[in-house]
Amino acid sequence: MSTHEQSMTLNLKVWKQKGPKDSGHFEMVTAKNIIKEMSFLEMLDVVNEDLIKLGKEPIEFDSDCREGICGTCGIVINGQAHGPWKATTTCQLHMRAFNDGDTVILEPWRAKAFPVLKDLVVDRSSFDRIIASGGYTSAKTGPHPDGNAMLIPKPIADRAFDAAACIGCGACVAACPNASASLFTGAKITHLMMTPQGQAERERRVVSMVDRMDQEGFGSCTNIGECRAACPKDISLDSIAIMKREYMNAFLKSDIEQREVREDA
Amino acid sequence: MGASGLALLGFLITHLAGNLLLFIPGGALFNEYAQKLESLGMLLYVAEFGLAFLFVFHSVIAIRLKLDNLSARGSKYAGLKSKGGPSRWNIASVNMAISGLVMGAFLIWHIKSMKFGPSIAQGYVTEVKGTLDRDLYRLVFETFKDPIQVWLYVGVMIFLGLHLRHGFWSAFQSLGLIRPRFSKLISAVGVFIAVLMAAGFLGIPLYIHFILPGVKTL
Amino acid sequence: MSIILDSKIPSGPLAQKWSSHKSNIKVVNPANKRKYDVIVVGTGLAGASASASLAELGYNVKTFCVQDSPRRAHSIAAQGGINAAKNYMNDGDSVYRLFYDTIKGGDYRSREANVHRLAECSAGIIDQCVAQGVPFAREYSGELANRSFGGTQVSRTFYARGQTGQQLLIGAYQAMMRQVELGRVKLHARTEMLDLVLVNGKARGIITRDLTTGEITRHAAHTVILATGGYGRIFYLSTNAWNSNCTAIWQAHKRGAAFSNPCFTQIHPTCIPVSGDHQSKLTLMSESLRNDGRVWTPKRKEDIKKDPSTIKEEDRDYYLERKYPSFGNLVPRDIASRAAKEACDAGLGVGTGRAVYLDFRDAIKRDGEKTVADKYGNLFDMYSKIVDENPYQSPMKIYPAVHYTMGGLWVDYNLMSNIPGLHVLGEANFSDHGANRLGASALMQGLCDGYFVIPYTIGDYLASQSFEKVDTNHPEFKASEEFVNAKIGALLKNNSKATKTTTEYFRELGLTIWDHVGMSRNETGLKQAITKIQNLRNEFWENLKIGSTSSEVNKNLELASKVADFLELGELMARDALMRKESCGGHFREESQSPDGEALRDDANYSFVSAWEFKGVDKEPVLHKEPLIYENIKIATRSYK
Repeated sequence: MSTHEQSMTLNLKVWKQKGPKDSGHFEMVTAKNIIKEMSFLEMLDVVNEDLIKLGKEPIEFDSDCREGICGTCGIVINGQAHGPWKATTTCQLHMRAFNDGDTVILEPWRAKAFPVLKDLVVDRSSFDRIIASGGYTSAKTGPHPDGNAMLIPKPIADRAFDAAACIGCGACVAACPNASASLFTGAKITHLMMTPQGQAERERRVVSMVDRMDQEGFGSCTNIGECRAACPKDISLDSIAIMKREYMNAFLKSDIEQREVREDA
Repeated sequence: MGASGLALLGFLITHLAGNLLLFIPGGALFNEYAQKLESLGMLLYVAEFGLAFLFVFHSVIAIRLKLDNLSARGSKYAGLKSKGGPSRWNIASVNMAISGLVMGAFLIWHIKSMKFGPSIAQGYVTEVKGTLDRDLYRLVFETFKDPIQVWLYVGVMIFLGLHLRHGFWSAFQSLGLIRPRFSKLISAVGVFIAVLMAAGFLGIPLYIHFILPGVKTL
Repeated sequence: MSIILDSKIPSGPLAQKWSSHKSNIKVVNPANKRKYDVIVVGTGLAGASASASLAELGYNVKTFCVQDSPRRAHSIAAQGGINAAKNYMNDGDSVYRLFYDTIKGGDYRSREANVHRLAECSAGIIDQCVAQGVPFAREYSGELANRSFGGTQVSRTFYARGQTGQQLLIGAYQAMMRQVELGRVKLHARTEMLDLVLVNGKARGIITRDLTTGEITRHAAHTVILATGGYGRIFYLSTNAWNSNCTAIWQAHKRGAAFSNPCFTQIHPTCIPVSGDHQSKLTLMSESLRNDGRVWTPKRKEDIKKDPSTIKEEDRDYYLERKYPSFGNLVPRDIASRAAKEACDAGLGVGTGRAVYLDFRDAIKRDGEKTVADKYGNLFDMYSKIVDENPYQSPMKIYPAVHYTMGGLWVDYNLMSNIPGLHVLGEANFSDHGANRLGASALMQGLCDGYFVIPYTIGDYLASQSFEKVDTNHPEFKASEEFVNAKIGALLKNNSKATKTTTEYFRELGLTIWDHVGMSRNETGLKQAITKIQNLRNEFWENLKIGSTSSEVNKNLELASKVADFLELGELMARDALMRKESCGGHFREESQSPDGEALRDDANYSFVSAWEFKGVDKEPVLHKEPLIYENIKIATRSYK
């Protein structure tokens, strides 16, 4: 049975930034009456209630499902994306990870491709544009072959799922010393190349997604692997190797595609 | 990046293999080896040009990559910290640019002092297979009499080890050559090669400086 | 304007209604489709699938979502699965059985024709999703795997580990993003719809607020689709996401759309119990857990504080298995929830007193820890992260929580509300689940509406209308924009004397609804609730401390705007519950129960869909009724014993 222990007081060093053009700065805020059962975001709710009561500006942060699946929340806590726990989103981080009197630094995801909108709120629409550039199968709405018409061995389906589990939170970019989006992009490429339905557009997809990722201003992967450690869904680094291999294969095959285009013309 | 890195590693392996002849006191075999290389003529120039090209290519891409990656961050963190676990964040992986720059600077000086260092004209002459040729062994031997140069070489070779420690695995990953089953193996091979190369290269100056004076010439 | 409820159910035998309707309705010629502008609000399963499908057909689609990315809509949190009448398991499933189970599960308060269409389309949804590369769970043979869910005796639930909603949504989102890239969908994320614009009685546009810049914008179109989800977050504590809200449908209601069965809310039996006042949100533990988990409480009050592993088998009351032997732990949600409440009311609750055990001991003994982890690993991890206990070793503690709202805007067979041109899809409409939704049916309905219904029925509407040219300079747009500006202005008014925050109002409202319009309702409580909510609403507008007065990014302003609407909707929920003096599905009126405490329906007087007409914030709404006629099903007392 959980017993409410004595409440804690924490010193928050919070990034405050008025908008994308503001340069931003840190501010100290005291978090009072915090208990270990609270989630990190519930702690911020308490702080914001206090601030509002004092007539001060609350700390703006994003959150939605608060159960670790929507990928909306994300704070760099003491230099670690989503805080100290492994395979955890900020909303699932609980205050038992902290002790009374701790100083906690809160920063937004920092990346040129994720401009800060306010305080800890960032714009991750660059991720949507990467998906839009090729992260799909072009299956039309309508009748399709029966779901069992094409068998997918369980181990393959499982690996596709492992990659598809990505929630698009952006922790990989935030934690990467290079602000690279390779784990995010690699996960989608891996998911779709594993399934038989993803084969038709396999080459086109990888080329277009990787190119878009570069255009969006993300850094390049130097295989430090910190993304993997920060990922709340344990997406494997293999997905980056797969992305690179797929890109290479697509590059080698590109003359075939071009020939097809010429024949069409 | 990965491909050029692996190619450069290939050169380093042959370079080290040749230089292991320095462990044989007297230097006759080493000078013979050097002479053989020189006698390749046109072929050597092609090889040297190829190497230079690889090196420049590797450096230019690396510098561009580093600058891009620095600007991709946007604003600076108060301090980014590794979460450990499966992360490969370590002194080697996050300092590839620094280890690369150190080696680049070293390489220029190394080529200047060795390849374009004192030669026959300066009296570094020895007899190889009946003809007079450059006494490269003497140059190496004298260089490593100087403790400052010894420690400089040792230092740089530690950077080389670090660079290879991350670079080897990283090249395989970047080239998409890693299959999940072999990921750990390749990483281990990377560590082995890093240690081997660094130990081999830094062993030479240490051997010549500390051990060789006690060994009697054959 | 008075409300006319014409359900437009096609004639003919039940099984042929949809196919003959599809063949008979009008279609828009391919070259003309691009001349029609369609607004879609919401990007969950229904909204994303509709946007993708309509854009693919050639319509000009404008899509809006409040989240920072359309991929984050709350459908993403659905865990357990999606039903489809594929009969892959050879266990006697059929379209008719799925239809029958859904009607019975909804306690005979849904429309036959709609539910049958849903069952017919279900198999196609699976094929559609497989074609998109959705990684459903597979058997070693490579075939799709199925599991059982509550309220059914066949295995027809397709799933992707405990993240089915996520995988289906990502599939629909990707299909939609493809259309965004092609320029056929214009996407507006972080944008909230604050009003519906009617021109000459037809839905012709919306007014939005950009949640980043605060800019108020007018958008005109030929038709508007609302796919904005349910209103369960009115309870403050629910499994719904932080941003889930009723604003779009409530505003449409205020502009004339009838609101149906607002009191039909689903309380999900297996959620992580409340741990304290700080709690902002409750977390669901998928119903699929009841396949292998056994629900129990101690038989004796003196055992409730004991370590559960020390309680002997004969001292445990597996009350669902005892009361409902033929369905056991897999009874429908309303029944499981009420049984948990009864046990806790009787003083047998464990933990804080508002929890029962969900025990996997026997499943782990039978199948091994690995098999159990394969099926439910992510749910177990989530549980231990929140509660700091290991469910592999000690039983989970669970308690019911608000999860879904069956009520919503009234729609006809074509999914159009009583306002011409206003279509409502998914959880936002009332149509398919009656008084209780069966597990794994929400995903089915959302995708059915978006992929397979609206692409047909919207064409019928557009082709049958002659549209006058309307642009955003029309006076109705101006009037709507002024209304929105006034609302935002009133909320942002810097009231330095005010003392009460948005969250405090929200909590108070939620608690009132939970206490009186929750799992168990009675006349006295409902009347109290109405008065309480009215008072709270008046206080809200006079004494609201808003915090930041920024008109740009201001999350507290967003919340206040939602709470303002919840404060109006709450009253309607209580009124609907008060009107319906029977018990049915999730609506349990204490005055109407059988001697053994089961819900007692009153088919003679309440076999209808309520459809409320808005008359003004402080005026009594007017009740309209759409009678429910069952031509194919014999209505019976719902029994899972």
